Amino acid sequence: MAQCVQSVQEFIQDSFVPMVAVLCSEDAERVTRKNSLSFPELLRPFCRLTSEGHLRDPNNQVVVVKGLRISVTGINTRPPQTPEMHRLLSQAVSVCQPPEGSPANVITAGDYDLNISATTPWFETYRENFLQSMPASEHEFLNHYLACMLVVSSCEAVPTEQFLKLSQEQHRIQHSGEYTHPKWFIPNTLKYYVLLHDISEGDEQRADSVYEDMKQRYGTQGCYLLKINSRSGSTGADEQMPDPWSQYLHKTSIHNPELYEESAVSNAVENNIGAEEDGLDPSIRDDNETHPLQLDQPTDAGYPSNNASQSVNNVDMTRPQKQASVTSHTTPTPRGTCLTLNDHDHIRQFIQEFTFRGLLPHIEKNIRQLNDQLVSRKGLSRSLFSATKKLFGGGKVPEKSIAELKNTAGLLYPSEAPELQIRKMADLCFLVQHYELAYNCYHTAKKDFLSDQAMLYAAGALEMAAVAAFLQSGAPRPYPAHYMDTAIQTYRDVCKNMLLAERCCLLSAEILKSQTKYSDAATLLIKMTSEDSDLRSALLLEQAAHCFINMRGPMVRKFAFHMILAGHRFSKAGQKRHALRCYCQALQVYKGKGWALAEDHINFTIGRQSFTLRQPDNAVAAFRHILINDSKQSAVQQTAFLREYLYVYKVRNTHSTSCIMEALTLFSTGEKQAATHVSLDQEFDRDLSPLWRELEERVVAVVNRGAVPITFQPSQCCLNSQTDNLRYPLAVVEEPIIVEVVFRNPLKIPLALSALCLLWKFTPKDFSDPQGNTAGETITNEKTMALNDIIDTQVIPEFTISPEETKVARLKLLPHKTGELHVLGVVYNLGTGEVDNSEGDLMCVRGQQNLEIQGPRLNMTKEEKTSVTYGPDHRLDPIITPLMPLLEVFFINFPTGLLCGEIRKAWVEFVNVSAVPLTGLRVASTHPEFFTFGSAASDLTPVTPTAAEHCSAYKTVAMPPSVEIVSLVSPAAFGVTSGDRPVVAEIPLSQGVLGPGEALQIPLWLRGPDREGVHEINFLFYYESTEKTAKLSHRVLRHTAFICASRSLSVRATASRSNTLHSRERETEERQEGEEKNGSMLVFVDVENINTSEAGVREFHIVQVSSSSRQWRLHKCINPVGDKENRRAILASRERGKLCFKATRCRTEEGGASSSQKYTFADLNLGNEQIVSSTTPCADFFFRRGLPSEPRRGGVSTGGASQIWRQSGTDDGVTNIVKKCSEVEKLYTVGTESIQTPLNFSLFVIFKKNVLLNLQQSNTLDSVKIHFSELIHHRLPSHTLVVYLCSPESLEVHGSFSWLGQTQYKLQLQAQEVYRLSLKACFFQAGVYNLGTPRVFAKLAQTSAMCETSQQSAMPALIIINSV
Amino acid sequence: QSLCVHLNYPLYIRSVPTQGELKFHYTVHTSLDVVEEKISGVGKALADQRELYLGLLYPTEDYKVYGYVTNSKVKFVIVVDSSNTSLRDNEIRSMFRKLHNSFTDVMCNPFYNPGDPIQSKAFDSIVSTMMVQAC
Repeated sequence: MAQCVQSVQEFIQDSFVPMVAVLCSEDAERVTRKNSLSFPELLRPFCRLTSEGHLRDPNNQVVVVKGLRISVTGINTRPPQTPEMHRLLSQAVSVCQPPEGSPANVITAGDYDLNISATTPWFETYRENFLQSMPASEHEFLNHYLACMLVVSSCEAVPTEQFLKLSQEQHRIQHSGEYTHPKWFIPNTLKYYVLLHDISEGDEQRADSVYEDMKQRYGTQGCYLLKINSRSGSTGADEQMPDPWSQYLHKTSIHNPELYEESAVSNAVENNIGAEEDGLDPSIRDDNETHPLQLDQPTDAGYPSNNASQSVNNVDMTRPQKQASVTSHTTPTPRGTCLTLNDHDHIRQFIQEFTFRGLLPHIEKNIRQLNDQLVSRKGLSRSLFSATKKLFGGGKVPEKSIAELKNTAGLLYPSEAPELQIRKMADLCFLVQHYELAYNCYHTAKKDFLSDQAMLYAAGALEMAAVAAFLQSGAPRPYPAHYMDTAIQTYRDVCKNMLLAERCCLLSAEILKSQTKYSDAATLLIKMTSEDSDLRSALLLEQAAHCFINMRGPMVRKFAFHMILAGHRFSKAGQKRHALRCYCQALQVYKGKGWALAEDHINFTIGRQSFTLRQPDNAVAAFRHILINDSKQSAVQQTAFLREYLYVYKVRNTHSTSCIMEALTLFSTGEKQAATHVSLDQEFDRDLSPLWRELEERVVAVVNRGAVPITFQPSQCCLNSQTDNLRYPLAVVEEPIIVEVVFRNPLKIPLALSALCLLWKFTPKDFSDPQGNTAGETITNEKTMALNDIIDTQVIPEFTISPEETKVARLKLLPHKTGELHVLGVVYNLGTGEVDNSEGDLMCVRGQQNLEIQGPRLNMTKEEKTSVTYGPDHRLDPIITPLMPLLEVFFINFPTGLLCGEIRKAWVEFVNVSAVPLTGLRVASTHPEFFTFGSAASDLTPVTPTAAEHCSAYKTVAMPPSVEIVSLVSPAAFGVTSGDRPVVAEIPLSQGVLGPGEALQIPLWLRGPDREGVHEINFLFYYESTEKTAKLSHRVLRHTAFICASRSLSVRATASRSNTLHSRERETEERQEGEEKNGSMLVFVDVENINTSEAGVREFHIVQVSSSSRQWRLHKCINPVGDKENRRAILASRERGKLCFKATRCRTEEGGASSSQKYTFADLNLGNEQIVSSTTPCADFFFRRGLPSEPRRGGVSTGGASQIWRQSGTDDGVTNIVKKCSEVEKLYTVGTESIQTPLNFSLFVIFKKNVLLNLQQSNTLDSVKIHFSELIHHRLPSHTLVVYLCSPESLEVHGSFSWLGQTQYKLQLQAQEVYRLSLKACFFQAGVYNLGTPRVFAKLAQTSAMCETSQQSAMPALIIINSV
Repeated sequence: QSLCVHLNYPLYIRSVPTQGELKFHYTVHTSLDVVEEKISGVGKALADQRELYLGLLYPTEDYKVYGYVTNSKVKFVIVVDSSNTSLRDNEIRSMFRKLHNSFTDVMCNPFYNPGDPIQSKAFDSIVSTMMVQAC
């Protein structure tokens, strides 16, 4: 429990003080009224005695009375009625708030650091008010009047008479039986006569004389002359005087005025009180006003208040004052204006005099009297009582009144019952702090009451016995806590008197606390909470919570839990401030500990309470807390939270004077920035970026004649977290900047953002100015949105995010001026996702989210490694540069699929979409051999692409077949100078400039890559502005094309030296002189259609074979069979063909150094038209592949062969083959063949493929005879040719066959001789067999058998045997 | 049935069925005080040899609450439906032991920050299997 200002002893003493009534004459009342005070009020600040008093107990021992306080009240003061009392209490509590910045009490319990207010003044206030407003009860005498002051003014005509009147009045009130209230302690009440003298008005001598008279009459101890009002009223009002009344009276009117809603409450309360007061006016007092808590049955005129003369000093709060306090709280009526400090002393003296001379002796006398009575009666009455009790069967006492039967609490004793005398004496002793005697008496009384089953009385005695026992200094006995428990239980359960139980509980808890029995105290307090009073329950729960935290092992969770309960009850009781405070304290325990649901609840309540208390900032913070964290709440709950939040936020913004936008940190963000033309969807590829960078570097190097400038930085159009963001990105004026923001909705409900746009700051700068001075003020669109003339800000009207969705928003800015731009954040209206027509626009709130990008973590130096530092990230701070050209490139007829080696013509269009001309257009590519723009030499005037669509990609000339056409071309004509592959190609522009808005179309030839599969081909277009600017030297445009290459023809070429007879001679000749250059060579070209039946492509027509070489050229086609089919060389799927050409050395007349640089292109067409291979597409691609390297070992030949063939689709008719087919060129370089063996001849065996089958059916198994012809073709003088038919094995065919007859031949062949061998084979079963198993060995006739060399292995000759 | 690991605030809490989660939170929360009482009840000298398993903490109308405290004062609480009679004291004890073992494994993870909520898949699966068994 929180600490109190008073000690426990003081508190208990102050709870039970001698009561003194006051009866005032009208004149006296008037005198005090000058100070706006009634007489009791006037005395109240001085009621505590500073000096010690003494009295003697019955045993003549001196009892010291320290720090006694007496309570002086008007004789007709009534305790407030229940509802009124509740109101007063609640008002008192609500007024008493923890002071701002009070010394916080930090309690460390385990790992909690709790910040708890050390004191709970509201509770003390409540307790004080509660105890004061206890109604007087029958069963105890503690708050019965002990004495009565009779006050008469000295200006009265005959003061003595007035005294007499008042005395009679008092007697009437006490003894006439008209009034049940007030209660009087003892029949012969002490009367104390006070003559009030107004110094400023009255005649002092007269007063003195009257006083003398009084002394004579009442004795010096029974009267007093009090002189007050030393100065006249209003004169010295401005003089600073201490106002001792302020802390006792009208606390409502002095509390700080900013608690305006409390004052509203108190206003209402006071007005109600006023009304009540009116209702209690003497005239209508006769209504049956029953006091529900009164212990006896009140008569109608219970209070002596219908005396008109006394109605004036009726209550503490008199009406004029109340009016004043209602009308103006801030200016309380000044009290005590007529009193000087001297007067204060007078009053103090008066009280002291009254107490020591009047009251204490009176009490002493009474104690003695009572004691004597008791002692004298003891022997007799005790035994008598018990005897009668036994006689009557117990439970009945002769003196009992009839009231006993209807009183549930047990018995009612008449006021003169001997048991009550004991109690009375105990109470008297208690009041004068003689606790030992008091305890003994209480104890005795308790026994009596218990034996009489008078439960209420017994409980009272128990309670006081416990208190007295506690208060005994140097206590001989321990504090009897069980007395208290019994008392409370009896009060509550038997007597159903919650007020008494509560009082008892408060006392007991306080005592237990002082003995550090916190857990007992807490239990007690918690037991006392009930449904009937929220305020009481709240306060008690809060105290219990404090008990828990103050325990030796602080029980933090219990503290928090009870705090929350208390907060709940507070809020039910309408004490919002206290409720909020309780919840806040409990939150300390639950915050961030993972009790998500509990935390949410607390935050929600805090939010609500703060809101109703008009602390929208706190409310917003609390609500935000609920929403931000990963909420475990259900969607419905979240919706409610969000609604509430939005509403609160809205209200707050309308209320607060400065409408500061608040960031809702609901979302995590990621950013991407992009310039035009770049597909944002494309993922950043770590592997790709160095590739582009390399390409760009190459272009720049080419532009700068081979050197990359130091300041070179690769252009980056799309920035994200992986790119290098250390530099400020450059953006061009009038080109949009797109920022991609990733929103994540962590809630389970949809959110609707609207009017989403970027927030930026812009500093205009003129970059043409060499100093780069700031040309204008920094502008931002935070306040005003209408700045579209500087930067066009795109606003997304609607942006809905589904529950738990991550969504990307692209926000565009279009700068119109140069300068430095900073993207600060995004702003949006946040609303709930649901469609709500009635308040759809109401429930949305302007939110702002700052974009702050953290750069990559630095991890280079030691400091950076040991700490966590992040590099800068300038992605969102682009510099807007002056106008730059902007290129757009379109590809027309760009294929997606090509056959390997297929050449296709496409068109490319360059458009300058900017307002400035561009120049220096170049293109770089990772696959320069893939495309060509044609050479400058081949002046193919481009027609429009549409017109050229059906034309062939080649330049053709009609020509009869088999005529060799030779042309000589230098590689320089195709822009190829050095040996390395040209990566960068310049694109010719008319006058080198592409003007604004102009477009250029040029043809583009594409050649399918040689390997099948999907190829990714990157183009980098480079261009620059005609004007050089410092910021941006050039721009690039990237394009990635995907080409799917499918298999077409596989071409293998082998070259061998022609083995004519003269070759030996020539060789010797060469060795001697090397003059015979006119050698010839055989070139064999194996062509196979390996197309895997692509749709539409079935067969290939070989149309033309061309060669290009520095030394060699194709001379003629020497295909052996001369029929027409073979000339056109149609290859169906999976067919293979072999072409044989004779190549000769170029003529040397062109000779010289230049001829070695030139290439001879020779075309051999097999059809009717010749394709000029030395012009654009073919030659281009030939050179683009890179020039063949020089022969390595004095090789014989280098050369290239190109072959042009056609494909035809199966579904096309024969007639339009030519039209529809597209030309495909296959370039093949014949590698250098170095001859290693001395054997310089080759034999070429060709199996004719169309094997003749003669199937003869016979009954026997294996009598199928086949017959196939074999061509043996050789060019050697004389050979011994050995043919072994004993083939090793033919594993690839199932089954087997055997050759019949002779399986080994040894033949001698003459030069140019053709010999036919007839071989027989026998097949045992149907199937596919390879007949190409014979092997041929040959040697020169003269040489020994060891030199036999295996000839080229035969091609497979398959045969299909059908079973018949 | 609910389960929770604590250092006075939940490191891990899991309940089946999920809709009554708040109630379980409440039960677990209140049981912490009981656990603390029980620990402090044992004398300091005996603290080392103390049995980690605390047994039934308290029964409510609907649930039985069992507690277990490691030597480093990490508390495990299992809440079982009181109608569930299949779980004897011994089973609960072995469940706790299993839980403790896997909790130790979690703590051995060098990337685990003591005091953070537990987000371990292995732990999750152990708890799940235990809950399936129990239900």
